[in-house]
Amino acid sequence: MSSEAQRKIFRRIWAVVRLAGRFLRNAVPRIYATAIMFVIVWLTFLAVRYLVTSLAIASGPPPQIVALPTRLDRAALREGRSAFAALDAAEHPRSPLAHYHRLGGWVQPDTFNDCTRSGCHNPLPHAKRKEVRAFLNMHATSIHCGVCHMEGDRVPRPLVWYGLDAGKPGDPPSLLQAYAMLTAPDAASMWKRDGDAAQKKLVHLLNSAARESGDVPALARLAEHFEAYRVGSKAFDQMLTDGPAALARHFRGEYGAKLALRDERTGRPLLGHPNTGPAVAEWFARKDTAVGEEATKLLEAVHPMRRASALTCTDCHRTQGSLIDFPKLGYPEARIRSLIDPVVFSMIEHINAGRPFNLPAVLGGAPLPPPDVEKKAP
Amino acid sequence: MTVPVDAMMDPAKRTRRDGRGETARRNRAWMVLLFGGAFLLPAAAARADDPENCLICHQYRGLSRFDEASGRAHVFFVDPQYALAHRGPHGRLACTACHIREEVEVVPHHAVTPVDCTRQCHLPSTTGIERRFSHDNVMEMLARSAHKPEELSKLTFSRGPLLADNQSICLYCHDEPLFRDPALAIPKFTELADRVYDRCDVCHAEKVATDIEYYVRHIASRFQPARTPLELAQVCAVCHSDPKVMAERELPNSVASFVRSFHGKAALLGDFSTADCLNCHVTAGENAHLMLAPDDPKSSVHVANVAESCRSLVCHPGADPKIAETAVHLDLPTAQGTIEYALAAIFIVLTILTFGPSCMLVLLDLLQVIVGREVHGEERLHALVKRIMEDPRGKHQLVRFSVNHRVQHWVLSALFILLVLTGFPMKFADDWWAAPLVRMFGGLGWARVIHHWSGILLVLGFFGHLVDVFFGFVSRARELGGPHGRADYVKAWVSLPMWISPTDIKKSIQLILYLMFLRKEKPAFGRFSPAEKFEYLGVFWGTMLLGITGLLLWGEQISSHFLSGRAFNLATIAHTYEAFLAVIHVGILHIYNVIFAPKVFPLSTATMNGYTPIAKLVEEHGEMIDEVARDLGIRDEGEPYHE
Repeated sequence: MSSEAQRKIFRRIWAVVRLAGRFLRNAVPRIYATAIMFVIVWLTFLAVRYLVTSLAIASGPPPQIVALPTRLDRAALREGRSAFAALDAAEHPRSPLAHYHRLGGWVQPDTFNDCTRSGCHNPLPHAKRKEVRAFLNMHATSIHCGVCHMEGDRVPRPLVWYGLDAGKPGDPPSLLQAYAMLTAPDAASMWKRDGDAAQKKLVHLLNSAARESGDVPALARLAEHFEAYRVGSKAFDQMLTDGPAALARHFRGEYGAKLALRDERTGRPLLGHPNTGPAVAEWFARKDTAVGEEATKLLEAVHPMRRASALTCTDCHRTQGSLIDFPKLGYPEARIRSLIDPVVFSMIEHINAGRPFNLPAVLGGAPLPPPDVEKKAP
Repeated sequence: MTVPVDAMMDPAKRTRRDGRGETARRNRAWMVLLFGGAFLLPAAAARADDPENCLICHQYRGLSRFDEASGRAHVFFVDPQYALAHRGPHGRLACTACHIREEVEVVPHHAVTPVDCTRQCHLPSTTGIERRFSHDNVMEMLARSAHKPEELSKLTFSRGPLLADNQSICLYCHDEPLFRDPALAIPKFTELADRVYDRCDVCHAEKVATDIEYYVRHIASRFQPARTPLELAQVCAVCHSDPKVMAERELPNSVASFVRSFHGKAALLGDFSTADCLNCHVTAGENAHLMLAPDDPKSSVHVANVAESCRSLVCHPGADPKIAETAVHLDLPTAQGTIEYALAAIFIVLTILTFGPSCMLVLLDLLQVIVGREVHGEERLHALVKRIMEDPRGKHQLVRFSVNHRVQHWVLSALFILLVLTGFPMKFADDWWAAPLVRMFGGLGWARVIHHWSGILLVLGFFGHLVDVFFGFVSRARELGGPHGRADYVKAWVSLPMWISPTDIKKSIQLILYLMFLRKEKPAFGRFSPAEKFEYLGVFWGTMLLGITGLLLWGEQISSHFLSGRAFNLATIAHTYEAFLAVIHVGILHIYNVIFAPKVFPLSTATMNGYTPIAKLVEEHGEMIDEVARDLGIRDEGEPYHE
């Protein structure tokens, strides 16, 4: 290409650049002025609207007054506490009308559980057997449906913790880790050896536990106190003595995490029956018309891993052969003892067998005898 | 000192006693068994946190089920801390004090009968002997009140039944009662902490075993209302905001109007000390369950008694009885035909009439930028300004705002911002931002203090400005009076810099015509444009009005002696609507003129050093430039400026 041709091209490019520059120089102030004009018009509209409505339109009390929940319905089950209570401005948010006992919070919603987020099951799915339905729902706050309802032969079952915030596998809940630190057999030597580092870790775990449990103030205060004292002081030793009992009161399945079956290939939690999207869609499309065998087939397609019969309580709550490897999942020894306490599972046996179970009384109640036979693991 | 851990589960639960709580309880149980005799046994059992062991299951939040048929969840959770930390008066009760033992002692429970709050229960006492207790007297009180049980039982709501069949009507207002923080009523609690109980422990820890902490917290919580004003409004709103209940019983929308009153807004902003529904509607010394209808001669809000209710010792004790003429439940949209409604309407019309044209000018000004309209004669003025700036005396002559004025402006700005930030949450108390904003100031109490004293400073500054203007005016009058020593006040008055003259009116019309493309040349203004003069007039009038009405409202007990109670409603309307006008004028138009206008963006330097940016100066203050040039003897080499 000749130099003349190059110059011609350069001149053209330069002309375009100048044109663009001129355009921008003219356009930018105009765009800016237009934007400011819209903002002013919008603000003026809001102001005038307020003035007119303040005099012309009668309105009821604001949401802070009337958003009091009147019932615990399906929507309340799927939402978090603040949406449920809608009373953050109150010192003591009121329970829904018709519910006397203070709720304070609500079960942590599990937005990653495919069984419930598909719209098929509600977060409190057990409703049939009066004897056990509430107990089973109690487990739904810390155990994914698949742990009991999906098939698998391995003993113990391959389980993993997953966080309710992201649905991803994670470490054991901070509360369990903190409890393990306080109740470990070698705790005394650990405090002597690691001192400040251990204190820092414990405080971090307790703060995390408070957050994971739904901002439990008692756990946060406990963290503050553990942080306030010097390791090795008398006060700190007293904290170490009393701490386990205080923490144990928070073992109520509110960990911000749940146990789920672990997909052996990927290591991820199984939060629903895999690859069943089309089957679920088909079920929803045909569920109103499908009956009998057709409905059964559709449901089988939705639940390819479903166990013929769900696990029962004593499959896990037992001293030997439990389907849950509690130590491996981060449960401290002291917590495990209470989970496999004979009183607990004898109570379960009684109830499961349809026999009346009388509540043990503090001053008069003798512990119930252990079950007749130690159940074998399935 | 050691700090046992379980005490930290509850902020009000003190520490040392709890540290040995387990041991103490165990010892107490053994003592009861060994020495106490049969009559002490129930008391000890009742003192136990959970004697029937119900919490072994009911402590789990997930212990619940969903009933598809009714669409409701049944939650069987009982907060263990309520019993373990004795967080409320029912914290020491066994579950079977309310629930029928035969129904709940077996798992799974039999069908549970709804709790009857008038059922007799047994309470432990300081003697260790159980006392029989029942709320049946409350039912008797209700029977004599405006809230008769048979009426409450018949209520039907627009949202369907609120209670399940046979549930106690008490649940319309009550849920599990909680002790409020004792430090709210007795601030010393925070300071004394454990020492409150240490002295009691001398005898009560072992020798006369009594749960001192429980009793102290119980009594301390009675020094204050059981609920905050906001929570109480929520309770009353269950019925008094339900359209069906209000329609059937011809009730006014009382809760809605309450939350639009000063007291209601304070409640919304989290103030615990403001008047709530019970403060006015329950006769002093009477029980809340004895609330009477307003037309009952014994009612605290009956026309014959309401003045004394307002003037109670905790409310407005120094006020004149006329204060009761204030319409506490004033809801403007429903108050048509009243003077309050008329005043609000006048303010709204005035706001639109004053703000509207100013806003229109700004929008038309922006339109000039959008269409790219050039102001004729700008080059000449630019050249003139350049020559003025080159003159050693010239730069100083172009200062539009002296140091004195700039300081006054910044003080005014700071006070204005403070007044808006502390006052507008009250105006828009139900908006999401109001309560957090008030909390930033340390609560409504502090926000009000800041608001009041900012207002006082603003009024003082206003008087300072008046004095400044007065001396300037007198001095100018003497200058204009000539050699005879007679001051010419009329000439001085019309030559005040902010005086709006007929020429200003004429030029304003010319400006509007120019901005509407009906005139070719933009009028030139002197040191202050008509828009600035109008703005100044607005601040002048607004400060006076806001100051006077603000003082009337702040000193309501004094002003009630020489004004009718209705004056407070009028003052409130004038105060809030005038403040709103000020905020939209400053927040939208003034902020545009000094920050966002293309000729001054990002900030007009006039507020900092007194110099208006040259582009703006040339565009709006051509007369001033010509005048300065003439004073300095600078020759205008360009074309003569066309007005």
